[in-house]
Amino acid sequence: MKGNQPRVAVLVFPGTNSEDETARALRAAGLDASLVHWSQPETLHAFEAFVLPGGFAYEDRIRAGAVAAHDALMDGVVDAAHDGKFILGICNGAQILAEAGLVPGTGAVRRPTAAFAPNAGGRYQSLHVHMKLALAPERIPILGGIEPGEVVSAWASHGDGRLAAPDDELARIAADHLAFVYCDRAGRPVDAPNGSALGCAGLVNADGNVLAVMPHPERDAWTYQHLDADPHAVRAGTDAALAPSGGIAFFECFARAVLAEAVV
Amino acid sequence: MIRTFAVTLTIPDNEAFTAYETLARLGIPVARVTRADIWQFDVDGSAPDLARTVASIEVIHNPNKHRLAERDAHVPLPGEVWIAARDDAPSTNVAGRSVPGVRGVRRRTAWRLLDDGGRDVATGYLERAVEFLCNPAFQVALRS
Repeated sequence: MKGNQPRVAVLVFPGTNSEDETARALRAAGLDASLVHWSQPETLHAFEAFVLPGGFAYEDRIRAGAVAAHDALMDGVVDAAHDGKFILGICNGAQILAEAGLVPGTGAVRRPTAAFAPNAGGRYQSLHVHMKLALAPERIPILGGIEPGEVVSAWASHGDGRLAAPDDELARIAADHLAFVYCDRAGRPVDAPNGSALGCAGLVNADGNVLAVMPHPERDAWTYQHLDADPHAVRAGTDAALAPSGGIAFFECFARAVLAEAVV
Repeated sequence: MIRTFAVTLTIPDNEAFTAYETLARLGIPVARVTRADIWQFDVDGSAPDLARTVASIEVIHNPNKHRLAERDAHVPLPGEVWIAARDDAPSTNVAGRSVPGVRGVRRRTAWRLLDDGGRDVATGYLERAVEFLCNPAFQVALRS
């Protein structure tokens, strides 16, 4: 532990590809983030929180997230979730959490009740999006200090991001597990670009300590990554272009929650 | 009229091997897992050129690594389970293009679990495997 910073594990499976930028965003938000590989499950006890980054764990074989959800590394994550530790999944990490049954978390572990299924139209999408907090902030303790209806800017980059579930499960999700919905810059709801049910961009469990979001805030966490970034400033590498902004606020909320929990 | 084709890899099937490893980790006594892509075409008449057409669509069949076989049965073989999308509306094009005489196409994945004697594993084990191979939130498992 660096000083009294709580340690956050960024989990890496074969095929994960967003671990470095995720760890960078977590560090910029004030956390001590370390990469933990699938072969190191015995090290998980040393961490206070866990982040499952994006990528294609196990090449998305069988289904996106399915194999990783049954990996030995996830045994420790499941235990941590039940212990109330904070677990954040982004994109492929969100798919893994759904396959592990940790979100929406209405069924048994590893008996998924929902899925981030192939996009409507069957095509991979890469586009800039906004997502809006759809539940009361107190329902999402994993994002400390997030404002009601806060809009997060991010890049969506996935082929399997469409929330799918039976109707009764969708009703449960709509009532209490729909953490983020796609919206425009002003927070007005928009049709989900991937056909996601309920316009869902993110799910949370009942205790609010496990959050899964499909878009990548870590890919929009620096000014040069924004859709409207000044290309001249980006090329020049100015301080303004290299400054954290936008999606970094999402990680600052996560850090606030983790740090507050560590103090307790 | 429905015509059913199975496409299997002639090179090692990494996805089937990953399924095998995961199922073994879950305690299912399986020695080998096989996988096939099942393509079912709803065609006008008998579509006599369909097999040749399908064989020429590389997204479905690459002759360097795939074997294409037409099946008489349009349901899973004994011991086999097919995983299909729950909202299994047939696509009106085949791998992004329309094919004359084809009204719709469905794609499924066929799985078969074999024990160390080359026999299908017991039904109970197959049912346990289905809990991994199929996410019931958006998929269904079809059995013979």
